[in-house]
Amino acid sequence: MTLITAQWMPVKIALSSLLVLLAGCSAANDAGETAAGDSSKPKRELILAVGGEPDNGFDPTTGWGRYGSPLFQSTLLKRDSGMAIVNDLATKYAISEDGRTWTVDLRGDVRFSDGEPLTADDVVYTFETAKASSSVVDLTNLRSAKAADGDTVELTLGRPQSTFVDILASLGIVPKHAHAGDYAEHPIGSGPYAFVQWDKGQQLIVERNATYYGELPKFEKLTFLFLDEDAAFAAAKAGTVDMAYIPSAFSKEQVAGMRLESLPSVDNRGIMFPYVPAGGTTKDGHPVGNDVTADLAIRQAINFGIDRQSLVEGILEGQGTPAYSIADKLPWWNPDTVLADGDAAKAKEILAEGGWKDADGDGIVEKNGTKAQFTLLYPSGDVTRQSLAIASADMMKPLGIEALVDGKSWDEIGKLMHANAVLFGWGSLDPLEMYNVYSSKYAGVDYFNPGHYGNKAVDGYMEQALAAADEEQANAFWEKAQWDGTTGMSGAGDAPWAWLVNVNHLYLVDEKLDIGEQPIHPHGHGWPVTSNIEQWTWTE
Amino acid sequence: MNLRTRTLIYAAVALVLLLLPAALSPMLGGDRLATHLAERNEPPSWTHPFGTDWLGRDMFARSMKGLALSLGVGLTAALASGLIAGALGLMAAALGKAADRFITWLIDLFLSVPHLVLLLLIAFVTGGGAKGVIIAVGLTHWPSLARLIRAELLQLKSSEFVLVSRHMGRSNWWIATRHLLPHLWPQFIVGTLLLFPHAILHEGAITFLGMGLSPHQPAIGIILSESMRYLSTGMWWLAFFPGLCLVVLVRSFDVLAGGVHALVDPSRSQE
Repeated sequence: MTLITAQWMPVKIALSSLLVLLAGCSAANDAGETAAGDSSKPKRELILAVGGEPDNGFDPTTGWGRYGSPLFQSTLLKRDSGMAIVNDLATKYAISEDGRTWTVDLRGDVRFSDGEPLTADDVVYTFETAKASSSVVDLTNLRSAKAADGDTVELTLGRPQSTFVDILASLGIVPKHAHAGDYAEHPIGSGPYAFVQWDKGQQLIVERNATYYGELPKFEKLTFLFLDEDAAFAAAKAGTVDMAYIPSAFSKEQVAGMRLESLPSVDNRGIMFPYVPAGGTTKDGHPVGNDVTADLAIRQAINFGIDRQSLVEGILEGQGTPAYSIADKLPWWNPDTVLADGDAAKAKEILAEGGWKDADGDGIVEKNGTKAQFTLLYPSGDVTRQSLAIASADMMKPLGIEALVDGKSWDEIGKLMHANAVLFGWGSLDPLEMYNVYSSKYAGVDYFNPGHYGNKAVDGYMEQALAAADEEQANAFWEKAQWDGTTGMSGAGDAPWAWLVNVNHLYLVDEKLDIGEQPIHPHGHGWPVTSNIEQWTWTE
Repeated sequence: MNLRTRTLIYAAVALVLLLLPAALSPMLGGDRLATHLAERNEPPSWTHPFGTDWLGRDMFARSMKGLALSLGVGLTAALASGLIAGALGLMAAALGKAADRFITWLIDLFLSVPHLVLLLLIAFVTGGGAKGVIIAVGLTHWPSLARLIRAELLQLKSSEFVLVSRHMGRSNWWIATRHLLPHLWPQFIVGTLLLFPHAILHEGAITFLGMGLSPHQPAIGIILSESMRYLSTGMWWLAFFPGLCLVVLVRSFDVLAGGVHALVDPSRSQE
C-alpha cells in the first residue's frame, strides 16, 4: 500500500469498486476442481492455516503456549477434553497441608528432542526463568523451586494458590542445557512435535518428535501457514490447505471437500462499565469513573435489556453462544448467572425503580439532570467488536439509554477505558483470570478491572477460592463470587460487565481429517485447536 | 442550441447531482441507519435500492450520508486549500524577490514529498478523526494552485495592457481590480472546484487506510474499505453502488468546473 503514489491511490479506490463485479462472479466456480488431492497413500503431512504467528517466538518462559498447547514443549499436567486435570510429565503431584508446597514427581523416561534426558533440574530452571522474566506468565507468588532428587520437584508458594495447578498445566518445560539466546526462534523440547524451520511472516514447519513419550501423533510433518482470515479462506477454497480458520462472516460458504467445524469457546465479548462515579484519576493522570455507568440500574437494565441470542444470530451468523459471565460452561462457572434477557419491560422497570425518567421527552431517560448517555468504545481494527458495539447500542436505545459508539486504537483505549464503557474480550481456561478482572486489588492494573469494580463480599470469596486446598473447593468459592444468592459479579448482581456473546471458533477442515474431541477453546482463534494434536487422524 | 447553453445545462445537471446527497441525507436519518439484524446482507431491492450491509443497515442511506460527509470534508478542505493557494500565490508575485524565492521553495518542498505520505503524517500528528482529515487534506492541496496563480500574475503584470495602463497613470488599485482580478478570478474558482474531487478522493483514501474517521461513521472511504471484506462472499452491492456514486460525484465536479471555466474566463467566454 505504501508504495502506491498519491495520484494512483484514488484511481485504485475507484477501480476496486469495479473489480467487485468480477470477484462476485468468479467466487462461485473455482471451488469444485481443486478440492481434496485423493491419493491412495496414507496422508503423512498436514498443511494448516490456523492463525497468526506468535510475536515473541516459541519460548514458554515468556508466554508461548499460554493459550492452547506449547506443541514443542510438554507441561507437567494438562487438561483433557472434559477440562479435568490429568498427568503429562508428572506421574503424581501432592499439595502440603498449608497449601504452600507442591511436590511433583516426574516420569523418568522423558527425553528432549536433542536426546538429552528431562530432569528435575530442567523443571526448576524453567520455573525460575519464567519467574525472573516477569512476562505474561504470572509467577510472582512462587517463592522457590527445588529439585528434591532427579525426578522430584518441590515448588514453594508465598501464599496458597489453588490456580497454581493451571500454571503447571500451561508452562512448557525448557531444557536448561539448550536455553540460550535464540531459543525462542529454535525451540527444543519434549513435546509431540520438534521444530524444523520458521520463516517469519510466512510459515512454521515441524516434524514428529520420534522420542516423544506419549502417544505418537499420526502425522509426520505439519506446516503452519501464517495467513490472515481472508487469505486462509481463499487457500481453503483453492484446496491448498487441510485446515483453515475463518471468520463467522464466511460460515455460510460451502467449500467442496471441506466441512465446517464450529468449536465452542469461552472466547467472550462483553461491555465493561466504569463502576465508580467520575472524578478520580489514575497514576498517569487518565480520568477514572463515569456518573452514568456508576449507577446500578443502568448496568442491570442493559444486562436484562440486551437480546444476546439475536446478537449471536445476527452478528456471529449463529456461530456462538450467548455469554452471561467471564467463564461460561467452565468448571468454576455458576449457571445462576444466566439471565432471562431481551426483556425490555423488565429493563425499563429497573430504570424506573432506579429513579431514571424521561422528563423532557427526547427518548433518553434522566436522573437528577444527568442524561443516561455514555461513550462505548471498541478497538477500531476489530469488525466483530464494532458490530457488537453498534448493535448493542441500538438495543439500548429503546430502553432510553444512549450509548455513543466510537472506535479507537488500543493505545487510546488504554487511556480512556477507566472512564468509558469498552467492548472487551476475555476467556481463559484458568480461573485466575476471574480474580484479575474482578478483584479490587487489580483495579486499574494493565487491562485488568479497568472499571475499578470492587465488592468486599466478592473479593472475600475470590481470596478463599485462591486459598482453597484443591480445585473442587476452589470452584465452589468461584461460583459464589459470581452469585451467592444475594450479591455477586453477575448481571443480576453488581453487573460491572454486560457479557454479550461467546464466539465459536470456526475452522474449515478437510472431510477426511478428524480433529478428535476438542476441549472448550480459550480466547484466541487459532493455536488452541492443536492442543490435542495426538488424537488427529486421517480417515480414507 | 449553442455551446454556451449546452455548457450551462451540463453544469446545472452536475450541480444538481452534487447537491443531491446533501439534500437527501437529512431525510434518510434515524431508522434506516439503525441495525436490523433480521434484514442483513440483502441484495438490492425496491425497499433497499443499494441493498443492506451485514448489520442490516440500508446501504442507500449510508452511501448518501457518506457522500454528504465527504462533500462537507471536501468543501472545507478545498476552501482552506484555495485560500492558502490564493494568498501565497499573490504574495509570491507581489511582495518581491525574497518572498517569491521563499514561497516557490515552500511549494517545491510540498510537491516533492509523496502526497499520501504527507496526508497520513499530518492526519496522524493532528490526532486523526474528522478534524485530522480536514486539516491534512486542507493543508496539502494548495501547492499546484499557488504555483498557477503566481505564474498567471507574473505573466499578467508584464502583459501589454497592464503596462499601457500603468504608463497612462492608473493607480495600482485600479489595475488590480480592472485588469488583474478578472483574469485571476476564473483561475481561482476553477482551481478550487478542481481541488474538490481531489480532496474527496484523498479523504476516501485516508479513511480507507484506517487513519481517518471512526470506522462506524458512514464515510465513503470507510464504506468501500468495509466492503472489501465481503467481496469473497459475493456481496458485490456493498462496494459497487457506493463506488459508482463516488465516480459520479467526482465526474460531476469535473464537468461543473469545466463549465464554469468556459463561462467566466475572459479569454474563453466569447467562444
